Amino acid sequence: MSSFGLLAEYENPAQLYAACERVRDAGYTKWDACSPFAVHGLDKAMGLKPSTLPWWVLGIAISGSIFMFFFQIWAMVYAYPFILAGKPLFSIPAYVPCWYEATVLSACLTAFFGNWALNGLPRYHHPAFSSRSFARVTDDKFFIMIESRDPQFDATAAEALLKDTGASSVEELED
Amino acid sequence: MANAAPSTSLALPDDPNVRGDIVLEDPIEGREPLVRGDRDFHYITEAVCRGNELPLMKTPSTFVFGLLLAFAGFLLFGGYVGWLFWEGPGIWGNNNPVSWAWDIVNFVFWVGIGHAGTLISAILYLFRQKWRMGVNRYAEAMTIFAVICAASCVVLHTGRIWLDYFLFPIPNQMQLWPNFRSPLEWDVFAVNTYFTVSLLFWFTGLVPDFATLRDRATVKWRQLFYGALALGWRGSARHWVTYEKAYQILAAFSAPLVLSVHSVVSFDFAVSQLPGWHTTIFPPYFVAGAIFGGFAMVQNLIIPARAWLGLKDIITIRHIENMNKIILLTGSLVGYAYGMEFFVAAYSGNEYEGFTFINRAFGPYWWAYWIMLSCNVLSPQLFWFKKLRTNLYLSWIVAALVNTGMWFERFVICVTSLHRDALPSSWEYFVPRTEVLFLLGTFGLFLFLFLLFIRFFPVIAISEVKTILPQANPHWEGYAHAKGGH
Amino acid sequence: MSHHIEKPTDITVPPTSLWAKLPMIGGALAVVGLGATLGSAFGHDKARAMFSYLFAYELVLSIALGSLGFVLIQHLVRAGWSITVRRVAETAMATLPLFLVLWIPIGLLGLHELYPWTHETDEILERKRWFLSNGFFFGRAGLYLVGWSVLAIFLYRSSVKIDSLTDMGEKKKVIHLIWKVSAAGIFFYALTQSFQAIDWLMGLTPHWYSTIFGLYYFAGSILAMYAFVSLATMALQRAGMIKKAVTAEHYHDLGKFTFGHTVFWAYIAVSQLIIIWFGNIPEETEYYMARMGGGWEIVSYALPVTNFFIPFLYLVSRHVKRHRTAFAVGCIYTLVMRVVDVYWLVLPSYGAHGEGAHEPHLAVHWLDVAAVVGVAGAFLAVFGWLMNKNKVIAIGDPRLEESLAHENY
Repeated sequence: MSSFGLLAEYENPAQLYAACERVRDAGYTKWDACSPFAVHGLDKAMGLKPSTLPWWVLGIAISGSIFMFFFQIWAMVYAYPFILAGKPLFSIPAYVPCWYEATVLSACLTAFFGNWALNGLPRYHHPAFSSRSFARVTDDKFFIMIESRDPQFDATAAEALLKDTGASSVEELED
Repeated sequence: MANAAPSTSLALPDDPNVRGDIVLEDPIEGREPLVRGDRDFHYITEAVCRGNELPLMKTPSTFVFGLLLAFAGFLLFGGYVGWLFWEGPGIWGNNNPVSWAWDIVNFVFWVGIGHAGTLISAILYLFRQKWRMGVNRYAEAMTIFAVICAASCVVLHTGRIWLDYFLFPIPNQMQLWPNFRSPLEWDVFAVNTYFTVSLLFWFTGLVPDFATLRDRATVKWRQLFYGALALGWRGSARHWVTYEKAYQILAAFSAPLVLSVHSVVSFDFAVSQLPGWHTTIFPPYFVAGAIFGGFAMVQNLIIPARAWLGLKDIITIRHIENMNKIILLTGSLVGYAYGMEFFVAAYSGNEYEGFTFINRAFGPYWWAYWIMLSCNVLSPQLFWFKKLRTNLYLSWIVAALVNTGMWFERFVICVTSLHRDALPSSWEYFVPRTEVLFLLGTFGLFLFLFLLFIRFFPVIAISEVKTILPQANPHWEGYAHAKGGH
Repeated sequence: MSHHIEKPTDITVPPTSLWAKLPMIGGALAVVGLGATLGSAFGHDKARAMFSYLFAYELVLSIALGSLGFVLIQHLVRAGWSITVRRVAETAMATLPLFLVLWIPIGLLGLHELYPWTHETDEILERKRWFLSNGFFFGRAGLYLVGWSVLAIFLYRSSVKIDSLTDMGEKKKVIHLIWKVSAAGIFFYALTQSFQAIDWLMGLTPHWYSTIFGLYYFAGSILAMYAFVSLATMALQRAGMIKKAVTAEHYHDLGKFTFGHTVFWAYIAVSQLIIIWFGNIPEETEYYMARMGGGWEIVSYALPVTNFFIPFLYLVSRHVKRHRTAFAVGCIYTLVMRVVDVYWLVLPSYGAHGEGAHEPHLAVHWLDVAAVVGVAGAFLAVFGWLMNKNKVIAIGDPRLEESLAHENY
């Protein structure tokens, strides 16, 4: 069994926040913090980049929007021209609602699936799940994991760092 | 975090069943704490999960009774659908000219109910109204179940139900597409988008809470059930970043959805030339009415539920009061729209417009109009008084009245506008035949789903409510004191 | 997050800044612009002058009236974030008595030129006489204008009064009164702002009617207000006031509302259009038909793009809303587009009735510019005068600290 890394437990968001700043400053890259809720500002403390999700959503929403607009024109004007309710075949006001709904739908589907895809979920197994204390990550405990595949990972140094940040316990995770 | 600064150090009683009902004065400085009692993160987890984690066999008998009752309603719904399928819409009282009656009334009623959920989860989220976190999960669940009811009404009203797939733009050998220039097709798009987005939004919010239930599960089925739904969520900060962005985007797109869905529903009526339907204020008026009715339904569900589940510390009287204020606001907006319609009918100098509105108020269906007006416009005005809007019983009663009024509003719009059309020889009075069973059936379906939701899903957004506790802020002053000389 | 945020001290207009001269500058502009416009109203260009004047009046009024709505709403929802910028809106709102004076030319000079119902008659107009009659028209106008003035003066005075109060009990009394008045005031505001739009704008085409029209004006007016308040706040900061009190967080929120009301305006506009277009009833479509010829069709086709798509795509970005210069560009753009929108509401009715009636055609006249300069000058003069007179921020508000510490998340 190879080691996945170290798991440190913290009691509150303030400790976690301070610890994250230290781990970030120590130069680790393959590490993570886990918390029961989104701790405000933790992304800054960890030095995380903003999510790329909005760009995906923007791109796909605009594509969906353009597609639906032209699809309606094609279907109404070219594919099967048919005058209904005395409305011209090409009538932009009447295209607005479906056009709009398709835009929203493509944006929301992207946001939803993009969220899971970018996060690599669903992932039903994770080494941290083998830790007994980690079960409280969705309740009231806070964790930091430093992975052993981090280029500058050194078990003793990392453990010392985590202990020094006030972790209530540090344990090793197996892969 | 000014929102969480406990400004009133008023001694509240310790009994959690009383504390949440104590009415505090509107502070002019600082904010009332959103969660009452000095609560920690673990309390929130416990309080919310308690109900879900009761062993199946120990479900309280009152709940089982309620569930069975709702199930009976659900069966009624199923039976009615079967009957409708077999006989066709001939079992309704619809006639010519009243070709749209209870079926559409029910549809508009239910789809309107849903709007409060979307408003709470999307618009109040964007406005950073943190009190919404106590109630958003209920309201979102309500949205989904209400839209299911609405969709079933509209799917079933087409007559030849088995041909409903015509509504969708499915490539076919005739190369025929649905008419995108028809308001009814807009409706198909609007309602489907609305349902899909609401479901995605709701599920996204639920995932971290499913993970909580998964991690606490002691029984195999619960581990598997919640484990599967939780998608392996582990609260990673890297995930939270994208997750929150996704949540924000979903909220941002749901916000205009609140406007668009009921607007499109209103177009079904308003783009016609029928006096009483054809009026430009319909879209915002329908939206205001939808939010109005939706909040009333939230009140009707949440006032008993918070007491029953012992969640009064999280859903306090302040939540009820805030929602009553929204009911007052939207009720008044609806009143504005009624008034504006009436005024413009008179102002227009158009005889047909004038006749329709006089007929609404004083014609054969005068009673429906006055029920609508007194329930929707007058009864919420009681909420001008703090004493009344913080009275739980009264809030519940007014909410029930508003729901009644909103149903009648749709009845007034549909039936009274149609029953006197341009040709007096075809005037006809609409009398329902079996439709009341349809309405009861949809209520059965709605309550059945809702009770199942209460039993098995976390009814409060656990991970969100934790963020509004003062200690969720890593820079909370409490930590600075604890650290001392650090 | 620092916890003890200092109350701002840079809260009065420095005597050397341009702000101190604003009343003078505004006054001069008002004299020139109003002089030219109203002077022309006595010549053969009278009709044109009155249309330009009404356009300018409704344009600037929309900012003042929007501010009244904004202040009422902030009090009713107990808003905390907006306190650092509320005084700017309150000051814009406090100019409402000016509009009582500025309305006099419309009532005394231009009624005949502007509103065909005052002298024309036909079967439909006869049926509308109960509403469209001189006496009732003046009575309503009086009610709106006096009501707004009283409400605005009360809210402004109360807010200024809190600046100097130190006792929390006394503050509480004033604030509770403000809350009560706001609750009643919002009803008055909702009805009167709709009916002024019906009276003064919808009345230009007396056969036409649309129930959403009051909301259309409201949407544009609140939008203009947000753009104006943001710009004025930036100008205050440039002149060295409230440097730290207003942060990117506040601009972010103002930007969100500007963005939101851009969408809201588009929603109302498209609702009206779709219903009238689809219904295709001649007495309703005349409104759009008048805007579909003689050059106006260019504006009509441009409006969805210039007033919705462009600002939507521009303001949707978080960076734009938080970046002062970028946001300023957005606000200026929004205000310019508000000018176009009101122009499009008013001017197509010019020359459509009475002697020499002709098909509407788009022709910008120097009087349009003069009228806007005049009315906006008068507005800025009063606005600047009040800004100089009192503190530029609601320094005494008990929730000021919350607003100072405001963060978006």
